[in-house]
Amino acid sequence: GRGGMKGGSKVLVEPHRHDGIFIAKGKEDALVTRNLVPGEAVYNEKRVSVQNEDSTKTEYRIWNPFRSKLAAAVLGGVDNIWIKPGAKVLYLGAASGTTVSHVSDIVGPTGVVYAVEFSHRSGRDLVNMAKKRTNVIPIIEDARHPAKYRMLVGMVDVIFSDVAQPDQARILGLNASYFLKAGGHFVISIKANCIDSTVPAEAVFQSEVNKLKADQFKPFEQVTLEPFERDHACVVGGYRMPKKKKDAE
Amino acid sequence: MALFLLFEAANGYALFEAHGIDEIGQNTEAVRNSVTDLNRFGKVVKLRSFNPFTSALDALEQVNAVTEGVMTDELRTVLETNLPKVKEGKKPKFSLGVAESKLGSQIHDVTKIPCQCNEFVGELLRGVRQHFVDSVGDLKPGDLIKAQLGLSHSYSRAKVKFNVNRVDNMVI
Repeated sequence: GRGGMKGGSKVLVEPHRHDGIFIAKGKEDALVTRNLVPGEAVYNEKRVSVQNEDSTKTEYRIWNPFRSKLAAAVLGGVDNIWIKPGAKVLYLGAASGTTVSHVSDIVGPTGVVYAVEFSHRSGRDLVNMAKKRTNVIPIIEDARHPAKYRMLVGMVDVIFSDVAQPDQARILGLNASYFLKAGGHFVISIKANCIDSTVPAEAVFQSEVNKLKADQFKPFEQVTLEPFERDHACVVGGYRMPKKKKDAE
Repeated sequence: MALFLLFEAANGYALFEAHGIDEIGQNTEAVRNSVTDLNRFGKVVKLRSFNPFTSALDALEQVNAVTEGVMTDELRTVLETNLPKVKEGKKPKFSLGVAESKLGSQIHDVTKIPCQCNEFVGELLRGVRQHFVDSVGDLKPGDLIKAQLGLSHSYSRAKVKFNVNRVDNMVI
């Protein structure tokens, strides 16, 4: 037995409020993404297969909020993650690619994820994962030096940053100046004690938000990642937003 | 004074020429406005030449050099063939905008082509990155991403492979 979620017809999958994300309704609800490579797990996560009306099957992968800050932010009630089907995403701090694989599911075959990771150890897993997912462009390079990977990355709609470095606001700003289109969006995960462990988390978040504001970012919302992560916040906003009132999409 | 731009794409080196820069001057805000929209951008920045890489191996050699701020012979040929000639003893009437200063100073040292690398050039290159596929006639929308995908795999695989015993560089 592989646990409660594996049960075919007993599990019902409904679209989440966020385009490209779903909820599997079983004994317990779980966040899932539609598997871009059916039949394959990336990190031993559970999969659920659902029979469609025309008797074809769609496979989903369980997205664990304790292992993914983006999933935690979605469950934390963030209004918009801007990562959606067809989006081009630059992902800083890709690590072994577990969350990247879910972002790859969300953006789907018409989207792209440029995944940057500096550590060679996790980078190896990232490169291997990307072999099967052709919408992931793996880049083993230092996110502090976007000029080094300027040949590999196009203009993107969204930057997701999870680099856990004291200068992460600066790293996001540098990457945005090269790759984030005007009117594009950012999602940054901030771990308070990676930046300053001597002041309260809330003060750290505020000071990071101020740094972003000084760099042409416009924060829209902030959610904490409790109960999945301690002293973590996720800040979402726009970049070089038009001065006029925003046009309808 | 003419301003050219070097854009290194995953599938080749491209040279652009910026027009009417005197009018907008080096005002970053004005440049920002004119590069966002393709119509306006197309009037300000025009493709001068696109020089595709000959093979995947060639592309890997180029990206490895560009990453280190090194001008390859191939890049030198592209620049010397497509930009105005620099005559000895005369001050060139043009300059080349580059994304990274180390590459710029090497280009200048070897070819005497004056290079600039600043916020203004950075803004123009953002526009080139955004409109690149539309600016180069023969490219289909998926072509560039395919080139990025192939090149990123060979670039990243080599990094991981040649450093199997390397201890991860932990910063802080």
